[in-house]
Amino acid sequence: MTDGPLIVQSDKTLLLEIDHERAQDCRKAIAPFAELERSPEHIHTYRLTPLGLWNARAAGHDAEQVVDTLLEFSRYAVPHSLLVDVAETMARYGRLRLEKHPTHGLTLATTDRPVLEEVLRAKKVQGMLGERVDPDTVVVHASERGNLKQALLKIGWPAEDYAGYVDGEAHPIDLDESDWTLRDYQREAAESFWHGGSGVVVLPCGAGKTLVGASAMAHAKATTLILVTNTVSARQWKDELVRRTSLTEDEIGEYSGAVKEVRPVTIATYQVLTMKRKGVYPHLELLDARDWGLIVYDEVHLLPAPIFRMTADLQARRRIGLTATLVREDGREGDVFSLIGPKRYDAPWKDIESQGWIAPADCVEVRVTLPDDERLVYATSEPEERYRIASCTHRKTEVVRDLVERHADQPTLVIGQYIEQLDELGAALEAPVIKGETSVKERQRLFEAFRSGEERLLVVSKVANFSIDLPDAEVAIQVSGSFGSRQEEAQRLGRLLRPGHDGKVARFYTVVSRDTVDAEFAQNRQRFLAEQGYAYRIVDAEDIPDLTT
Amino acid sequence: MSAEGFRTLADQLRGWPDARLSRLLLARPDLATPAPHDSGQLASRAATRSSLLRALDQLTRLELCVLDALVVAGQTTRAELVSIVHADPAATTAALEHLTDLALVWDSPTGPRALSGVAEGLAGGPGAGVSGLRTRSPEPMAPEVVARRLDELSAPARTLLEHVLDHGGEATTGTSRHTVSPAEAATPAEELLARRLLVPRGGGSVVLPGEVGLVLRGGRTTTDRVDDVPTLPTVERSAAMVDKVAAGAAFEAVRRVELLLDHWGTHPPAALRSGGLAVRDLRAASVLLHVDEATTALLIETASAAGLLATGHAAEGEAAWLPTDELDRWSTRSPAERWWVLARAWWDSNRLPGLVGTRDPAGKTWNALAPELSGVHQVETRQLSLRELAALPPGEVLASGTGLPALVARVAWLRPRRPRTRADQVAWALNEAEALGVGGLGGLASYARALVGGDETAAGVSALDALVPAPVDHVLLQADLTAVAPGPLESTLAKRLQLLADVESRGGATVYRFSSSSVRRALDTGWSALEVHDFISSVSRTPVPQPLTYLVDDTARTFGSIRVGHAEAFLRADDEAALSEVLHHPRASSLGLRRIAPTVLVSTTPLDVLLPRLRELGAAPVVEGPDGTVRVARPDQLRARTPRDRRPEGLRAARGSATVSAVVTAVRAGDRAASSRPTGAGQALSPSGSLAALREAVETGASVLIGYVDNHGTRSERVVDPRSVEGGTLTAHDHRADDLRSFAVHRITSVAPVAP
Repeated sequence: MTDGPLIVQSDKTLLLEIDHERAQDCRKAIAPFAELERSPEHIHTYRLTPLGLWNARAAGHDAEQVVDTLLEFSRYAVPHSLLVDVAETMARYGRLRLEKHPTHGLTLATTDRPVLEEVLRAKKVQGMLGERVDPDTVVVHASERGNLKQALLKIGWPAEDYAGYVDGEAHPIDLDESDWTLRDYQREAAESFWHGGSGVVVLPCGAGKTLVGASAMAHAKATTLILVTNTVSARQWKDELVRRTSLTEDEIGEYSGAVKEVRPVTIATYQVLTMKRKGVYPHLELLDARDWGLIVYDEVHLLPAPIFRMTADLQARRRIGLTATLVREDGREGDVFSLIGPKRYDAPWKDIESQGWIAPADCVEVRVTLPDDERLVYATSEPEERYRIASCTHRKTEVVRDLVERHADQPTLVIGQYIEQLDELGAALEAPVIKGETSVKERQRLFEAFRSGEERLLVVSKVANFSIDLPDAEVAIQVSGSFGSRQEEAQRLGRLLRPGHDGKVARFYTVVSRDTVDAEFAQNRQRFLAEQGYAYRIVDAEDIPDLTT
Repeated sequence: MSAEGFRTLADQLRGWPDARLSRLLLARPDLATPAPHDSGQLASRAATRSSLLRALDQLTRLELCVLDALVVAGQTTRAELVSIVHADPAATTAALEHLTDLALVWDSPTGPRALSGVAEGLAGGPGAGVSGLRTRSPEPMAPEVVARRLDELSAPARTLLEHVLDHGGEATTGTSRHTVSPAEAATPAEELLARRLLVPRGGGSVVLPGEVGLVLRGGRTTTDRVDDVPTLPTVERSAAMVDKVAAGAAFEAVRRVELLLDHWGTHPPAALRSGGLAVRDLRAASVLLHVDEATTALLIETASAAGLLATGHAAEGEAAWLPTDELDRWSTRSPAERWWVLARAWWDSNRLPGLVGTRDPAGKTWNALAPELSGVHQVETRQLSLRELAALPPGEVLASGTGLPALVARVAWLRPRRPRTRADQVAWALNEAEALGVGGLGGLASYARALVGGDETAAGVSALDALVPAPVDHVLLQADLTAVAPGPLESTLAKRLQLLADVESRGGATVYRFSSSSVRRALDTGWSALEVHDFISSVSRTPVPQPLTYLVDDTARTFGSIRVGHAEAFLRADDEAALSEVLHHPRASSLGLRRIAPTVLVSTTPLDVLLPRLRELGAAPVVEGPDGTVRVARPDQLRARTPRDRRPEGLRAARGSATVSAVVTAVRAGDRAASSRPTGAGQALSPSGSLAALREAVETGASVLIGYVDNHGTRSERVVDPRSVEGGTLTAHDHRADDLRSFAVHRITSVAPVAP
């Protein structure tokens, strides 16, 4: 028995004791193959998944390395079945290879004939494969390259894609490093992507993913299609590209709801591509509008499902995915792996930490007690009404007023879901309300005023905060909300709240009604935030005066 | 051994020193039970077929080959024997010595000799050491003669001869003449027969004499060497690494057995009627333990072999698999000792958990714990395989890919006469050893050497204790409401924590999760919030996170705010004074009244008793229905329902007449039968017939003559007046005794009317 920081559980979770002196080394060593699942204060939980192991294989790690790492850092003996499982899982990657055959075109070749036999008999790949060229090789219909990769991953034999890429229409793109330089990890990320062909680069928020994308474009020197989440992001990409590369404004087109330009470098939003009219995607032709040499996917973890289907047809083009996390709420990590590519680069943990990913805010849950009359209404209401009744209690308004007063000198956002509640809050707090019906212009004006410090307090609806990049605040107070994607919520939280200039910790208040479904929802989120390493406290509304600010 | 040899085996045994004799009895234990009277009996017992076969099964391929060569050679000398076995002479001599030790070979005055039963016992192909050559002729041709005659043969004859040699040394000749001279030979077969290279044996068949075969194979019984022991490919792995991996498996195996048996103690799986464990239960166990079904089956079988699991009766009385009381003793020991118990049980177990989940030849799935799931050779194969692992040089382990087939080949060489499933059995032995932590990475754990060495005590395994996680006495609490015990918790601590939190992940460490329901569970068993706080802060090395403190307080706040109790009836009144009056009435004490609110009393007396009693006390209660309405009741007037026959008149009449006519038909038929039967007194009747006759007599009051067999079996005839027939007993007035007597109806053999 050694005194390692890692405890390997038989259910394939790895527990890392972070106060251990070797925790940093261990974290670095296991990061390539284990997914971080929870990171509360003392023990971080990683999980070994087939995808994680295959990612490691794609990055050039072999099973022996993984096993040795586990054995080296493990405090206790490592369960034997787990080691066997790791070796077996990793051995599955690369038995099948997609290759370009000089005479037969795209083929699936194997180094292990029984595997090919098994695959040929699998229902999932029916119709994707053509005739058998020799015992170890079978022709693949060119149009099925993506679908086949998806299907193979599902049956547990992920194929390595060596079939190469089309070069695309050449277009000169260079980085313009006159007044800045690419950071080392950005350069490494772009290079490992380029050598791998296609794949995903994982970098934390604010680590300069755009520049990795730009650098990849400079490698490709070809026309590029960039897919981003929203219009604001599209503009940021454009500005950044103009500033950092040899591209000029005229060479970059925006393809969104408002503008439809197709230029050598085109930035499109997921939304416009996935817009469906009369059962068809009218803007799908953009993908074939030019002979793209490179496709950049921003925020891969948010990639909508239809984009996967479209991507399946783009397997001959180089693809780079940029994201802060590979974890997807919908569990489609496998599609990212098979369609865009394996993880090509992962930022060292230390960098992530310095980016403020961990514990950027102090989360406080304030519990209010429903007054007796509202409690009665709540108890007798229909289940679908309960959440609204619980979250719109008038007690919350009083508590929010208290909280706002405590942080009178800090920029504060009040976030809610129900318009009537927001209006009531707006009136009570004498603050402007931004909701779905507020015009874009008015919205921009208010946000600008908030940024400049003119406005200290905004009441915003969930709708508003989905569509527009919210300005930073030091204090956020959430009074109601359907907690959609928890991952997204945490990211938004991290982006929304920055520590104050005088070093004050940013505060995130959530006001919930005790003993109602509101509190139940809050419990899930409390767990999630705690797992993400946010400091979390629960106080009763009556105890607010005791809170230190 | 004397140079001039012995007259018989018995003589030889008589001449052996005691040490050598006891070696024989150790190697062939069946010779010693029951103890033979003398060497003669010992020798004859050694030559019995069953004992011989048992001894042959224990031989290596080389030894079998030597024995085979001895049979082929017939009368031979030691030197000649060594020359015809295709092996290193020293090895052959050693093998011969071993065969002598086993009393399979003895030294006759003319040279070594195999027991006569050996030739018959040698069976199987070259793999089992059988050359396929016949015994040499009593007066064999000299090898030079054979060689010369072979040279004279035509090519087809030579081919034919080689064909016969490769196919058992026996053939039928068809039309060939058996007595021809070489010059007259017309066919290849006749050529061979003429030169006595094939010898007629009668019945149209010919055999190839051993001496010819020997020459054909270059003067030896086999063309291939028989002393090539298959080598085991190895790779380097430090012993420490092997120990670490194996100890991990050992700890996991022990932990899983304990977890499973603990679980089965409260949720026992049913025992199938055939004695096994249902597939569904195996699958559930596999999910519980986080291992595949094969490993689960192994753990279950091992627990059963160790006496920790047996069939018993569950709460409802049905047969179930239950942990034994041995489990309680076992659980208190150290992990290493617990492992030793399991490993020892496995080492000597003839069970075949590797078969679980596969189908038997009849297509039935093998269930774990099924009684027939055992194999006689499993123990031997397992022990042989692991001894081979133990014999590997230090720092080397079996190579991962080629190691297993090589080990199978090695075991096949060591015990060639074992069945064909050997490859599976060797693979199982290795897999099971790794799953139980006896070995790992293709090597044997150092602490398991005592096991392989046949040590009966657990002295050697203390090394394992140093390799498994030491118990810890604290947990780390985190804000996401988990507690991580970074090692196995001390058992009292673990039990308490399990009450307070749910286990989320197991292994070297345990992750617990607190939730309001888990905290409530603890409160349910009588903890107070304060105790929970104290316990949590005492086991935690780190400050208790605020959300956890809050969770406990919040759960305690709502705990018990609603009280539940049992009552038969309630009394409700807006007038509190009226209730007080009832409650304090001197005669109300027996009603079990209790005030639970100013306007509500509850009573332990049921409503139908309570109501008249309350009226007696002068109250005027009304009964409230479940919906809150008042129920007034007047005394019930009882009425029965008018029976109604819904069938139409015509049908009823038709049915009635049909029934009657059927009865009539039956009666008439009965009468006809009775009349055609010959009548006579004392005629035996069927039981129902005698009953009918007796009943009839009861009804008519007639006297009957019955035949009766009494307690002593004596048959007598009596005249009686039956009074009643009931419960198998006839009560009747016996004319002879002039008294009432009882007769068992089944003893009445005949009933006949007596003429009045």
